[in-house]
Amino acid sequence: MKTAEANELETLTVNKENIISLPLGLLGFENVKRYVLLSNPEEKPFLWLQMLDGSNQGFVVISPEGLVPDYAPDISEQDVAFLGLKDPADAIILNIVTLGRDGEATVNLKGPIVINRFTLVGKQVIPTNVQHLALRHPLSPLPVAA
Amino acid sequence: MLVLSRKVNENIVIDGRIIVKVVRTEGNFVKLGIEAPPNVPVHRQEIYDEIQRNNQSALAPSRPAAGHLPGIKGGAGESTPTSPAS
Repeated sequence: MKTAEANELETLTVNKENIISLPLGLLGFENVKRYVLLSNPEEKPFLWLQMLDGSNQGFVVISPEGLVPDYAPDISEQDVAFLGLKDPADAIILNIVTLGRDGEATVNLKGPIVINRFTLVGKQVIPTNVQHLALRHPLSPLPVAA
Repeated sequence: MLVLSRKVNENIVIDGRIIVKVVRTEGNFVKLGIEAPPNVPVHRQEIYDEIQRNNQSALAPSRPAAGHLPGIKGGAGESTPTSPAS
């Protein structure tokens, strides 16, 4: 996936390969089924998942790899079938970030968005081990430079 | 609300395509089996509510400027290798 320019969205030259289809929407946003995933090196590791519904609304998301140690959501057979995943490596996992007022950020581990990297079809799944996962997992702030 | 009595192993059919079966009862617990088409999501309500509320509070009206994103471990400026979705 190509890195999107910071202002790419304003010009709405959305590359097809960044368009994510969520046929069931996100929980609470069942009617919005198309999103675009944008990244910017300056915003690393945060990505921006924007609704393609005519608004500018969206979600800050992260890929949990390297940020949430030992994160292992168990995806149900039904969800694996729904997404057409043949191998765990076929899946892109994104977790929704909630930004607090005072600069802290938490990440929702209970409802990951799982995307088939080949079809770009995704779903916000509830893993079968959801009871062991945090709804508001704090992202560790950078230590203040000495 | 429609209230129906069912025995163990009896079913309810919803809309001709969703089947809810009473599998087992144990004191206060009722085990249900649900057969629904893949495009009909089925969730425990309390978990659905929790994630739905979290999604609502995470919704941003527009893309935050890079400067408004927190500095976190593994983020920009840190050399820890991470592999965001690509």
